[in-house]
Order: sequence, then C-alpha cells, then structure tokens
Amino acid sequence: MKNRNVYPFLAIEGQEEMKLALILNIINPTLSGVLIRGEKGTAKSTAVRALAQILPAIEKIKDCPFQHDPKEKHDVCMECYRVDCRGRVIESLNGRQGSEIIMEGIKVIELPVGATEDRVVGTMDMEQALKKGEKQVEPGILAAAHRGILYVDEVNLLDDHVVDVLLDSAAMGVNTIEREGISFSHPSRFTLVGTMNPEEGELRPQLLDRFGLCVNISGISDPDARVSIMERRTHFDEDPEGFMNLWEEDSKILMEKIRQAKILFPDVTCPRPMLYEIASYCLDVGVDGHRGDIIILKTAKTLAAYEGRTQVESKDIEKAAKLALPHRVRRQPLQDIVADVSSIREKNKATGYSS
Amino acid sequence: MSFNHIFSFSAIVGQDRLKLALILNAVNPRIGGVLIRGEKGTAKSTTVRALASLLPGTRMVTLPLNATEDRVAGGIDFNLAVKKGTRTLLPGLLARAHQGILYVDEVNLLDDHIVDIILDASAFGENRIEREGISFCHASDFILVGTMNPEEGELRPQLLDRFGFCVEVTSEKDLEKRILLMLRKENYDADPEGFLSEYQAENSLLSERITKAKNLLKDVGFSDSLRAFVAELCTENNVAGHRADIVIEQAAKALAAYYGKTEVELNEIKQVADFALVHRKRDPIPPLPPDNSHDHNHEPEENREETETEDQEQSPHEPEERPESSESNGDQDVNEQDQQNHGEESHVPEPEPRGENNEQTKKEVLEKIFEVGETFKVRKFTSPKDQILRRGSGKRSRSRTASRQGRYVKSTIPKGSNDIAFDATLRAAAPFQLQRKNNSKLAVILEDQDIREKIREKRIGNFLLFLVDASASMGARGRMAASKGAVMSLLLDAYQKRDKVAMVTFRKEEAFVNLPPTSSVELAGKLLEKMPVGGKTPLSSGLIKGFELLRNHLLREPESRPMAIIITDGRGNVALGDQKPFKEALGLADKMALEQRIQFIVVDSESTGAVSFGLAQKLAVHLNANYFKIEDLKINQLVDIAKGERF
Repeated sequence: MKNRNVYPFLAIEGQEEMKLALILNIINPTLSGVLIRGEKGTAKSTAVRALAQILPAIEKIKDCPFQHDPKEKHDVCMECYRVDCRGRVIESLNGRQGSEIIMEGIKVIELPVGATEDRVVGTMDMEQALKKGEKQVEPGILAAAHRGILYVDEVNLLDDHVVDVLLDSAAMGVNTIEREGISFSHPSRFTLVGTMNPEEGELRPQLLDRFGLCVNISGISDPDARVSIMERRTHFDEDPEGFMNLWEEDSKILMEKIRQAKILFPDVTCPRPMLYEIASYCLDVGVDGHRGDIIILKTAKTLAAYEGRTQVESKDIEKAAKLALPHRVRRQPLQDIVADVSSIREKNKATGYSS
Repeated sequence: MSFNHIFSFSAIVGQDRLKLALILNAVNPRIGGVLIRGEKGTAKSTTVRALASLLPGTRMVTLPLNATEDRVAGGIDFNLAVKKGTRTLLPGLLARAHQGILYVDEVNLLDDHIVDIILDASAFGENRIEREGISFCHASDFILVGTMNPEEGELRPQLLDRFGFCVEVTSEKDLEKRILLMLRKENYDADPEGFLSEYQAENSLLSERITKAKNLLKDVGFSDSLRAFVAELCTENNVAGHRADIVIEQAAKALAAYYGKTEVELNEIKQVADFALVHRKRDPIPPLPPDNSHDHNHEPEENREETETEDQEQSPHEPEERPESSESNGDQDVNEQDQQNHGEESHVPEPEPRGENNEQTKKEVLEKIFEVGETFKVRKFTSPKDQILRRGSGKRSRSRTASRQGRYVKSTIPKGSNDIAFDATLRAAAPFQLQRKNNSKLAVILEDQDIREKIREKRIGNFLLFLVDASASMGARGRMAASKGAVMSLLLDAYQKRDKVAMVTFRKEEAFVNLPPTSSVELAGKLLEKMPVGGKTPLSSGLIKGFELLRNHLLREPESRPMAIIITDGRGNVALGDQKPFKEALGLADKMALEQRIQFIVVDSESTGAVSFGLAQKLAVHLNANYFKIEDLKINQLVDIAKGERF
C-alpha cells in the first residue's frame, strides 16, 4: 500500500467531524465504527482510503490468516487447520520459541458491494479438498478484517444476505461458518466503516445501530475552501510524491498523537455527574436501547484522551453525543435521520417531552 | 469459545422478565424456548449468551444466518467417504443441539428453507435426513431461543408458535439504572476477567438454584382447578390451539419449583401467563387481567370437563394444526402483532382533514395539503411465486435466481447454470473414490456425474408504482387523508420488503412523475406528506404516465413483475382526445391490461355509504385489476390467517 499514491488524510480540506470520528475509532477500536452519510463528491471514500497511512502497527502472528493477536488465548489456534502454526503455538505454551511475531499496520479491508456470501464468510478450500481429500477452510473477508477496519463503500446498496452476515459477526465478534460442509468459527472483531449516499435509500435499522458513530457531511460552501480543495487536488494529481512529502511531517505528528492517546486512554475516568449527563442526554433525546449511552461514554473518554486529558468534561459529552446519536434518535418509520442532536434535546426539554 | 468473552448473567442490569423467562426454560425445557423481541441495543443477545455460561452441561449451539442445509440437517461425511468409501453421516447443528439450546440471532431474517428444517425437527423431536444417499434419523430435542428486532420484519406464524415464550424487551428508562449499566459495561471492558469473577458467586448461587428447581420439578403439583383457569384464560385471549395451555402449565410448574414450592398457585400462573400469550393471542381487544377472569371462574372444581387439557399435556411437541396454505410458500410476515408505531386500531377512520376550512373562498383552483391519515398494517400483496430466473434484491417475492448471487440454498444435479456447488459435488464423488483409485496426484477424482450445481435463492423486491389521484374530488370528506394513510401504509410495507417505489400524481390538466423509481422509500414518504390536492382529474393522462414508467422498468428488467397501485375515485374529467374522459380512460385501461407482466391494483377512495358511482370499480374491471376499498387493504388477521389468503 505504501508505494501506491494515496491522497494524504490530513490534506483533506474541512470535514473535521468525519476526520475526528475516524481518528477516534483508531484510538479506540471498540467504538465499533463510523457511518459516513453524504452526497457525492464529499471526500468520503478518499478519507477512508487515506486512513491506512495513519494507522498504527499491531502485533500479529506471522502469516496467520485469521489475524490473531499473539496475546489472545490460544484455544482458537488449537482448532485451526494450519497444523504447522498450531505446532508452534503448542511450543510457545511450553515456553519454547513459538510463532514468529511481527509488527504490521492495521489493515483497511474493503468489502465490495457485489461480494458473495461465501467470500465474506469463508468457504471450503477447493484445492485442498481435491489434492488431499481433506476439508479445510478458505478464510473469507471477515477473517482478513479481524482487528482491522472493514470498509464498505455504498453500504446501503449491500445485498441483504451479506448484511445479515455482517450483523451476525458484528454482534458476537465471532464469525461462525456452518456452510458448504465446513463447521468452523474464528474471532472477527472489526471496526466497521461505511459510506453512503442517503438519496439511494437508507440502511436497515439493525445495521444502522451497529455503527458506533455517524456523521452527516455535505459539500463545503466557503469559496476559499473550495479553491483550496481544487489547488490541492491539482497539485496531488500533477506531483503525487511531492504532495505526499509535503504532508509527511503532519501525518507523523498525528500518528504520534494517536499513539499517546492510546496509551492514555485506560487512565481516563468519567466522573459520576458526567455519567448522569450522558444518561439524561439519551433520555431527553429519546433513543432506542442502551448502545447510545455506552458509545457516548466511550467516545467522550476517547476524546479526552485525544486531547491529553484524563478526565471527561461536559464538552466531551456534547461532542460525543453529536457523533453517537444522530442515527439512534427514535424516529417514525420513513423519517429522516436527524442532523442536529442537541437541538432535538432542547426541543424535547422545552416541550417537556421525554421518552 | 473462550475467545469471545461472555458477559455475566447476574451483572445484566434490569431485564427481569427476560431473565425470568430464560431461567424458567432452563428449569423446564418442556416450555419450549423463548423468542425475544425488542428494539436494538437492549442486551437481547448478551443475556442469552450469558445464560449458557450459567448452565454447565447445557450446550448452546449458535445457528448463523448463512448456514447451509447440509450443515444444519447433516450430510455425508466427506473425509470418511473418500478414505473408506462408506456413506456415513456427518451430524449437523440439529444433532449438536439435541438436549441443548439452539440459538438464532435475528431469527426473523433466517431463510425459509432453514426454518422449514427447524420446524420439522422441533415438531417431531427428531431430525430425518434423506439426502445425498444417506437415510438417517436422530433425536433432536432442543430449546429454541431466538432474538429479533421487529423493525426488520415479522416472523412466520408457524415458527412464532414454536416458541413457548415470547418476551418483549425495552430499554431502561430509569436514570440510575442507565448509569449503573454504563458503569458495569465500562468495568467489564477494562478488565473482563476481573469483572466476571466479581459476579461469580452470584452466578453460582443462581446456577445452584436452577439445578435444585430442576430436581424439584417432577414433584410439583398442578391442581385441576388451576387447569380450568388456564384453559379459560387461553380462551379469553382467543388463543388458537392448545400449546399456550401446555406452556403455561409447564412454566408455572417451573416457577413454583424455582420458588422451592411443590404446588402451583395462582400467583405463578399470573406471572408466566403473559410469556405464553403475548404472541398467541389473536384478539386485538386487550385481555382481561387474570384476576378478573378468576372471579368469573368461581368454583372452578365444577368445570371437570376442562381437564381434557391434561391429555394434551402428554404431547407437548405434537405439531399444531398448521395452516396448510401458508406452509410451503411461507412468506414470513403474517402479522401476529402490529408494529409498534402504527395500527393499534383496526377500523377505518374518516379523519377530518385539517385544511378543509382554510381558504375555501379562493376562486382559483384550490390547493390543499392534507394530513396523512392513519396508517395501518397492510395485507399481503405478493405476485405468485414464479420459477423464472430473475435478478433483483429485496424481500417481497421469493424467487430462484440465475445470476450467481443470492443465498446458496441447496444443490441439485446440473441444470446448466454452471454455478458449481463444490461441496455437494465432492460429497457426491466421495463414496466412489476407492473404486476410482488412480495414478493422478489428486486425492479426489471427479467425474461428470458427480457435478452438482447451486440453487440460490434471493428475495426479489418488487417495483411498486403509486398512481395517486390528487384532484379536488379527492379532497372531499377526508378521502385524501385516508388515501394518504393508505399509501403511507403501503410504503411502510414496501420499506420492510425492500421494494423500489415510484410515484405519479395526476391533477389539474396533467400527470406528474413526482418520484422516479428509487429505493428510497423515505423520499416517497416525504413527498406524500407535502402532496397538494386540487383541480380536475386527468385520469387518462395519469394512466399513460404511469404506464410509461412501468414499461421503461420492464425494458430494463424484463423479468420483473412490477405492481401498479392506482388510488382514485375514478371520476376522470379531463380527456386527452375527443372522447368522453372516463370512456377514454377505460379504453386505455383495456390496452394496458394486455401487458400481463404488470399487476394492477385499484384502490377505490370513494367513501362507502355515500352516493356511489362505482367508477373506480369499473376501471378495475377494465384493467383486470384487484379492486379494494381502502378499508379492505388492512390486514384482517383472523380471516387472512385462516384462509392463508394472499394475492
């Protein structure tokens, strides 16, 4: 990926909310993703593709098709079809030299809209079956995306049955394969990033809820900014490497900031009055279920860490609610997803309505 | 599955009814499972998974939505067949779930063919396999636990009835509890293992209590008078079949045992009755509270004949009388329960349009925007299932698809699709490998006769065209509000079935395409709300405009079966040519009816009781269309379920 020319993440003009949402998900992968809604040509896909450059590296077992965390329990490996690798895991349990561990950047795995179910879930390895007469799993996209980012462009156009599969594994963090003669399961926890143009139809409610955060973006209307977008793009097209070098330094600073935030995150606390604030926010606005509360809390803590603080403040909550609630506000069927969460809260408070 | 940390059952905040339902099933598996319905993010799945860890020795088998038939029911063991040439069964999920829990997340999204297998197995308590040259039968008695979000569509009635219990879950509204919930989740995320050990003691206590209750269960008595009471309760709720009676009895026994008692009392029945009734009652009228009904039922000892329910109890897994008709075709959403957001009532209102009195005096063409009238759950419109291979995505009609998309359902001997079902091919070839032993390097030799192809299934969303009469005559006496309500209801239905929609309205002199074909039903809904009414009725123009859209759609997707829903009172008064307007429209209708691929539906907005012209009905005859009054569109649960009616 490194040598291909990718538009630098930081060179994207404006769209601060989208960039912030993506960065927060890098710092804290348990935020479970972002849904980016917006019209055509608003740098949605560019931003996600550019993400790869600023992703931190993680420890991986070399050549592991399931992206296992070397620190994770090894029960999974015991059932793995890769006998050689399994042997090494047993070795390492006995205190000897185990599998080789490498540092590798988090991957962005793209799920094409036309992907078939067997490619997503995984299926039987045809070659092995024919050559050796043995059944083996051929890992699918969900295996590749474990501990990484699963990116779906035009997520609202995804086939229904593929969505079902995503729901299944997003809910459990496990991909269970019970098909085509194969019975196998492996962990699959990914950050789900989707982009969509709402004009082409909305997402199914259940899938909508799986995205931790949601940002609505629109084209920039400030003429200066528009000019600047054009200039940057032209520069990039004419001299990609020169342009990328220009942003190299800033990218490094951002990566360092992300790294610091990751370290700081476990120390961030949320005082009780702030918890009260979160819960009443959700009740005032009227959301389904409890995922909203949980995501706001996580987002607020991540925001604090990103700003180098160890305590959540009320501005974090305000900001977090704007990211975590737009797609969770209870609405009538066929109603639009709200754009401004805090105004709804004000309105509901004023009218004394609360769920 | 230790890589998947499981939340602690005791640490779950609130959801007491759900927890009780699950515990009772653990105590007494004869209750027959739980269906958990509720909005997203209410710990549905979390609670179920936590339960399994609470019950040592109980296996919980997860059925993923993408499972294929061979893994659910079981199939030939490929490895053994290749090496030994024998045909042995490789047991599937149903075998693994025997005497355990079969858990389906988002059970309403499960494919019909898998549902059929599960229904079969759960009806007989055994799984019969007749496939791939194996004939086998094994016991498969499991507790079925499913979760669903009703926003994604309802469950098939037979499957619904299979669940002993149904629990509706909602989120906590109490601030303190919400905070507690966040805190626990936070602690859990920070240190899962430490968190779990904190609740270990509480979990063990609960686990012990369940074990004790299990042992006590056989000693729990159930008096005849209570039986009579249960029977009465079920009758009052209009419950079909006897499963509810049995479930209530078993559940009350379980609860008594859980309380450490050896005799069921009224209190237990009251606590569990709702679990068994909520998804079975057929009456929209809210049931009398149980204690009232008990008053009716004074001296229950007299009702000896009621004890016949006792006989039923012997065979709790006996299949209910299945409505034959809805059997094979099984579209999933016959609506036992209304959706939360609309349609508690089932009568047609004639809402007074609010705009009626405003600006009545203006001389120009009056334009008004009427409210959207009450929405309701619509009855089923499906085109008859056809076997033509088609393309598309959606949920309205089931269809086999030829493009290599859709869910791999099962395999077949080749029919020319070249979409090879590799697993099935291998299984077919496996038993012959010993005879075919060979000099090639491959372990498996495939021959032509082994080849199997995939049958894929996909739900085809239809294309729905709404042709709405927005002329002044529609504004009278709340017709427009009711019509808008009807269209909105149909739109909601379309939304759940992932249909494409388009809308054409006609008023004043001509027809407009308000909404070109789109999947965004939201957009259609918004347009509908803003749609003004007024002017004359250019019926012919509307028909032509609509027909153009439909024909364009058919050109692009010749195999699709679009539906045109025409909402009008039929009083056309603007002609295109020299003919009388209505006559002209009928002539057009005759021609349009020749296009067999389009299904026409005429919804007559003329109110009943008033002087009726029956014009829309005439139009329907000429279009060869289904004809409805607005109120006929509503689903009439009892009638529809009984007749298994569909279009």
